[in-house]
Amino acid sequence: MTAGPRTERLLTHRLARWVDSRLGTAKLARTALNKVFPDHWSFMIGELGLYCFVVLVLTGVYLTFFFDPSARPVVYDGSYGPLRGVEMTEAYRSALELSFDVRAGLVMRQIHHWAALLFLAALAVHLARVFFTGAFRRPRELNWVIGCTLLILALLNGLFGYSLLDDQLSGTGLRIIYSITLSVPLVGTWLASLLFGGEFPGPDIIERLYVIHILLVPAAIAVLLTAHLAIIVRQKHTQFPGPGRREDNVVGERMWPTYAAKALGLFFLTSAVLAFLGGVFQINPIWIYGPFDPAQVSAASQPDWYMGWLDGALRIMPGWELRAGGFEVPNPFFPGVLLAGLTFALLYAWPFLEARVTGDYDEHHLLDRPRQRPVRTALGAATITFYVICFLGGAADVLAATFGLSVNAILWTFRVLVLALPPVVAWVAYRLCRELSARDGVPTASRVMVREIPGRLRRRSRALTAGESATDRG
Amino acid sequence: MTSPRLCVRSRPARLLVALPVMVAALAGALTPLVRPAAGQDDELVELGRELYQTGCSSCHGPDGGGVETERDGTRGPSLEQSGEAAAYYYLSTGRMPLSNSEEQPTRKPPAYDEDEIEALVAYVGTLGDGPRIPRVDLGAGDLAEGGEIFRANCQACHSASGSGGALSYGRAAPRLSDASPTEVAAAVRVGPGQMPVFGPDTLSDEELAGLVRYVEYLDDPDDPGGVPIGRTGPIPEGFVAWLVGMVALLALVAWIGTRSPIGRRRA
Amino acid sequence: MSEHPVSQEPVGERLVREEPGRGRPADQPPVAGRRAERGAAVCFVVATVAAIALAVVYWEGGQPQAEGVLLALSLGGIGTGIVLWAKHFMPDDEVVEERPPLESSEAEVAAFTADYQAGGSSLRSRRLLLGTAGGACAALGVAVLFPIRSLGPRPGRGLKQTAYRAGGLRVVREDGSPVRPDDLEVGGFITVWPEGHTDASDASTLLIRFGDDADFQPRDGREDWTVDNLVAYSKLCTHVGCPVGLYQTESALLLCPCHQSTFDVLRGAEPVFGPATRSLPQLPLGLDDEGYVIATADFSGPVGPGFWDRGR
Repeated sequence: MTAGPRTERLLTHRLARWVDSRLGTAKLARTALNKVFPDHWSFMIGELGLYCFVVLVLTGVYLTFFFDPSARPVVYDGSYGPLRGVEMTEAYRSALELSFDVRAGLVMRQIHHWAALLFLAALAVHLARVFFTGAFRRPRELNWVIGCTLLILALLNGLFGYSLLDDQLSGTGLRIIYSITLSVPLVGTWLASLLFGGEFPGPDIIERLYVIHILLVPAAIAVLLTAHLAIIVRQKHTQFPGPGRREDNVVGERMWPTYAAKALGLFFLTSAVLAFLGGVFQINPIWIYGPFDPAQVSAASQPDWYMGWLDGALRIMPGWELRAGGFEVPNPFFPGVLLAGLTFALLYAWPFLEARVTGDYDEHHLLDRPRQRPVRTALGAATITFYVICFLGGAADVLAATFGLSVNAILWTFRVLVLALPPVVAWVAYRLCRELSARDGVPTASRVMVREIPGRLRRRSRALTAGESATDRG
Repeated sequence: MTSPRLCVRSRPARLLVALPVMVAALAGALTPLVRPAAGQDDELVELGRELYQTGCSSCHGPDGGGVETERDGTRGPSLEQSGEAAAYYYLSTGRMPLSNSEEQPTRKPPAYDEDEIEALVAYVGTLGDGPRIPRVDLGAGDLAEGGEIFRANCQACHSASGSGGALSYGRAAPRLSDASPTEVAAAVRVGPGQMPVFGPDTLSDEELAGLVRYVEYLDDPDDPGGVPIGRTGPIPEGFVAWLVGMVALLALVAWIGTRSPIGRRRA
Repeated sequence: MSEHPVSQEPVGERLVREEPGRGRPADQPPVAGRRAERGAAVCFVVATVAAIALAVVYWEGGQPQAEGVLLALSLGGIGTGIVLWAKHFMPDDEVVEERPPLESSEAEVAAFTADYQAGGSSLRSRRLLLGTAGGACAALGVAVLFPIRSLGPRPGRGLKQTAYRAGGLRVVREDGSPVRPDDLEVGGFITVWPEGHTDASDASTLLIRFGDDADFQPRDGREDWTVDNLVAYSKLCTHVGCPVGLYQTESALLLCPCHQSTFDVLRGAEPVFGPATRSLPQLPLGLDDEGYVIATADFSGPVGPGFWDRGR
């Protein structure tokens, strides 16, 4: 043996011993090394979100060194000619400076923005995977609730993040947020005034959003993310049924070295995709939009993709509102607050609703295949259809201009489709599930697949009565 | 001032020379120079009158007074207040002649060549005291001021990047990159179709020069961020995020992770 | 098996067993293993070169596309190398770990309950202390919420009035210049504000000139609100407050680009399509002694989007 490797090993060993003698880490670390993770590819989608978040924090910190969230009016004198001499806020000016006059500033800003879009896309796909495989069932309801909260926080942080720049497009979005807040019955005017510091535009909103965006929400996400991962470690990951896989075991790879290496590799690769997007594809060209002016607006004003469903709901909603005795519940309340609230309320409540309806309060560590749960899959497909139509509604004017159609006709079509299409999709999905299951020769309702773990359940599922087949319960 | 809306079909013979004519007309349209007011040239006006009688009078009337029918309503509006600017705009962008009076005029290869357009423009100019073709001196315009004017007046219909936008009931504000500087200036002064009118007391000639200069800039703006993906905002960005980014990431996890154990037998 | 076999010490209470793996190229003849190793090494070398190039690009002034691509190559090279390393050289045996019950055993729960109750007796027995302590915490908790009130002013009449309420103010362009009716052609369309309040975002106003042949029908009581075919409406959409910036002259329709609310200019800007439920408030116009356009009074109603007590 040469001197080199031996010296290195002694050093790392010495370091490990130093830490262990103060913290007693060896036992815990060994448990961690030997943890088993099922390594199905669909279990890595949440990880994609995690890595996007890490990239967001790293690039975000860099951006905070240059961005100034001040509403102070200044006159631009930087290197972008078409805006020289134009009056704008310091926030917008610092964003321009970051984009044109700070080396690597633009690529950092663009990586940050693409990472936000992909963070939410990864969360959406992860949510769908967890939903359609029934991974939210006992004992993971708490983690589902934490996950839904993470989704909302990510959504809000993205919205607040791109609104910081005080450009025309995002400022229009803030106007809409203000007005939706205003529409809340009884307290709307107060809420809007307290949030914005007065009537729109309100001089304080950018600074307040800044604190929320760089401190409060990321801290909340970090804490909840830690809890989310800790619960997975404690409860162990779910797994698909297969040879050797039971409710009382977990089959996969050891954490060390394989799973850890794959996870680390995925982190680098995810960052590579984000870096590529950030350098090659232009995003949010605020210099074209110009500084925000409350009396101006551009055609084709849309929010970032993950808010498109809300924007579309506002467009598709017909001109109805409630008025009585001088009081009113204005039109934007219904799609903007009620629909959004209902969406998330249903999302949060789903594990408990499903358990109650199916009577299934068992622990589940084996996942469902979507085809085995036709009703859940059908409802999920219908819900996705509803929101996809809302998304398309948000793009109505761009669709009209691109395809030479009437934007009025498009919106009328969506008004009908948003109610008519989900039931059709639900029916199709249901039949597809039953068909696929029949071909597999496996009855639907995975309660039949579950091996009950004796002695550990507080409530048992309702036993099948004679004559009732397992396929009756979706 | 009502804008000219309808015109009759062009002579079939013109279509035979359409292609080289189109090239010549486009080449003419691309030059930043402005045609001088030709109202004084009697020969030109006479040629214009002849062309008008053949190609335009059945919708716009024998003396440019417009045609109203009991059945169709206004078949072609009066051209008396149109001026040279309107005639130039409509003819050089090919929006007129319009074969079907129901449809929205859209940009097409011009049906007339440069000289014919000059003649028609001269003739229409004699029908009343509508706006002359604006002289645009791009060098005198201030780019930044033009940008401010654009965002205050134009982006609501044409979008911040000038890529156009949807109007009501199937109409659309067109993309601006197709238009030459003179066409842009003429359109601003004329207010063709659904477009409002921005006269000299609303927008001075200096301001117009800056505006046109900014519109020309939008044809090929700085794109330091990379591929511009349309510059129409978050919708194409969302598509790229899903179709490029998410596809790439899902492909990566499919590579790194394992396939489903369902149905797998023990190796 | 690898050089260092996994220890046989039980890991806590769980038993972790290995199942035979699917075979690793590293166990196969050296050629196959070396090829895989070379592949991974190349990735790392590419990453190294890209990182150096990235540093050079930055040093030389930076270029966003080059920065992004080189960063992607470097990160991607490291990532691919690590994944290849894992796939080809790291154990891929299927390992089975038992899932012990998640719940604590009855004995543990009983022990916890006993300890908790033993310690908690001093809490439970002091009712007065519990009650007053709870009250104090509740009161303090409510009190510290009060500074939230400082975040913004009381929503007042500002939502229902604009600077036009002074009456007789000239309407001016953004640069402050007043407007004569003839400044607008027929089909003309500009944005104006009350004089001295060009920064008042709730007072932005559309000034539109329609033609003599337009079928303009004023609302009841508003017959003298126009001047020389000039009509003025609030620019703020009554849906969610976007500026209604699209004026279509042929159809005399105002279109809001945000959610496609459409208003008929010749019918008091009443909504004819889209989610807006109220007309754009109209501004009564007049002329002052010098022939400039003025606003004789405030808008016909509160501008912008609706709120709970808008009608009171």
